[in-house]
Amino acid sequence: MSERENIDYVVGEEKRLIDLLTGDDVMPLLQAACRAGASRVEVRDEAQGILWDHGLSTGSVGSGTLPGFVSAAEELMVEGEPVGDIRLLAPESCAGVLKTILALVGGALNTVITSNLKRMLTTEIHTRVINQSYDELLAINARLTESERNYRELAENLETRVQQRTAELKQAYAGLVAQQQMASVGRLAAGVAHEINNPLGFVHSNLHSLQTYLQRLVEMLQFYRARHSADGEAAAEGDALWRKLKLDFILEDLDDLFRESIDGAERVKSIVSDLKSFSHIDALGTEKIELDVEVDRALGLLAHETPPGTRIVRDYRTITPVTCVGGQLSQVLLNLLRNALQSRSEGLLLEVATGFSGDQVWLSIADNGSGIPEELRSRVFEPFFTTREVGGGIGLGLTVVHNILEQWGGRVDIVGRPEGGTRVEVRWPRGADDG
Amino acid sequence: MIEYDDIERKMVLKLVYYGPAMSGKTTNLLQLHEQLQRNGRGDLMVLDTRDDRTIFFDLLPFFLVAPSGLKIKVKVYTVPGQVKHDATRKAVLQRADGVAFIADSQHRERASNVNSFSNLEDNLALVGLDIDTLPLVVQYNKRDLPDIVSEEEIHNSWQSTGIPVFCASALKGWGVVETFRRLVALTYARLDSRFLLEERHGLDRDAFVAGLVRPRAATGVGERGGEV
Ligand SMILES: Nc1nc2c(ncn2[C@@H]2O[C@H](COP(=O)(O)OP(=O)(O)OP(=O)(O)O)[C@@H](O)[C@H]2O)c(=O)[nH]1
Ligand SMILES: [Mg+2]
Repeated sequence: MSERENIDYVVGEEKRLIDLLTGDDVMPLLQAACRAGASRVEVRDEAQGILWDHGLSTGSVGSGTLPGFVSAAEELMVEGEPVGDIRLLAPESCAGVLKTILALVGGALNTVITSNLKRMLTTEIHTRVINQSYDELLAINARLTESERNYRELAENLETRVQQRTAELKQAYAGLVAQQQMASVGRLAAGVAHEINNPLGFVHSNLHSLQTYLQRLVEMLQFYRARHSADGEAAAEGDALWRKLKLDFILEDLDDLFRESIDGAERVKSIVSDLKSFSHIDALGTEKIELDVEVDRALGLLAHETPPGTRIVRDYRTITPVTCVGGQLSQVLLNLLRNALQSRSEGLLLEVATGFSGDQVWLSIADNGSGIPEELRSRVFEPFFTTREVGGGIGLGLTVVHNILEQWGGRVDIVGRPEGGTRVEVRWPRGADDG
Repeated sequence: MIEYDDIERKMVLKLVYYGPAMSGKTTNLLQLHEQLQRNGRGDLMVLDTRDDRTIFFDLLPFFLVAPSGLKIKVKVYTVPGQVKHDATRKAVLQRADGVAFIADSQHRERASNVNSFSNLEDNLALVGLDIDTLPLVVQYNKRDLPDIVSEEEIHNSWQSTGIPVFCASALKGWGVVETFRRLVALTYARLDSRFLLEERHGLDRDAFVAGLVRPRAATGVGERGGEV
């Protein structure tokens, strides 16, 4: 070992971005960022000079953002000090993705910078100074390369990663919207029920009183009529008027009128109470619920959305109640039945079946509507995906169903039918105490 | 000094923690990282260690801007203490502006302290630094352990050199900031005489020290560490 050799390498010399990154490190990431949705990407040094860029060549990101575009930047650090930054430009419509891309690419670049710095320091010390621990150096460089590989791979799979993140965000958002929807439906139902119940109460009791009062008036009328029947001219006049006013028919019809009105009021009362119990606004946890009854309730509530002439075939085989969160079950039923009811504007045949199979509960809802093309079936559970015309729904229904079933450890499948239309099958574990 | 650029108004300094293997140099840096505010320093860069033993070095950078706009960056390094890494020690020592020598207080480490200090003297000469003028502080670390040399003995052996000596336990955290603060203060004195920090840049010693050594809210730690 010649200890006396001149050592000219100085540990700690300042490194700039251009010393630490090469185009080979940077360009694949920039290209990936553009594939993932960015319009333009730049890496700049401390003095704001552009070192590398990719994408749109409409001047630089920093010099005033183009109308309709948004931009974002992240600092690049060396030894804890900013030495430049990476800037992204994307159309406003991609603003959400922009942040994700920036975080991923910025993070990757910062890691590459740090490992390049380490590699440079270690390599320079050893090649310039001495090679006493060359093996150690090799081992360290191998480790650095390994840890970097992950980040370099990002260049290849950035698109997928961005899509994944975006999908996760969408899912979370969909969950939120669904929750809000559920809560507001519940509140609405409870509110409506409350508002209707009071007037309905006096309509109902007044109808009964009115019926009694009228019976008394009729009795009195008949008493007078009997008394005056011998009264010659007056009796004849009375009879004429009686016939003209069709009082025979009216007296006969009165009973029917009252019966129908009282029936109607009672039906409104039961719809309101169905609505209330269907929204399960009062129960938050799991309950024992009769699936078949619940399906019928849902069909009842959707009566106004049912196209005329619809034939409903029921095949219910769940004999015991199932345990689940009522509000969620309502969501599942409403969403699936509504989809089926909207599948055809006339001549709809709706087949609803329920049952147990092993330790699973299942529910099948089939329609003879237009069906969902094979290639779209895998996408219908995506948030905000809809096959309906714009305005026909926000495309969350099946996502909600899917998320709820996932929570229950179950699944929902869309099955094509050879005879046309769609069958949706839902199944989930019965739970221990359902048997 | 690593770099001084009058036009870019930038100064890069280097402080080195030197000492025998396993004396606690890396632990000192970890403690500084722990006890000083994030504001004003960078992140600790630990360059590959094997079983606690530094193979290359560790680095903790600090930043300060003088009233004149001069940007000062202080890079604090540790060297690997193991004898076989002497080449790396020299590379790290190159152009150092100050050195903290971390000695191990345990009786059985006496010889390695002595060897390491004479290795420091050799290497300083080799890289062209004058040990008599270079800012230098000594820290006797691991004061929390039994079987350690007494303060009196330390005092006696170092008194004649005029080098400030501190007692510390880097593991417990005391004495670490004090050692660093003194090293920074000594470094200032030397820089000021060469670069007129106060006159040309409006940066006096207290501001320099306070800017680089910013302890987090008082922790009570450090009461026991002190100058011998
Ligand atoms: N008890 C005690 N142990 C300490 C103290 N300071 C450091 N140690 C321990 O001593 C061991 C070595 O500490 P390091 O800081 O890695 O030593 P080093 O000087 O960097 O060692 P090299 O990198 O090999 O030169 C570690 O296990 C530390 O936890 C201390 O004040 N007291
Ligand atoms: Mg160490």
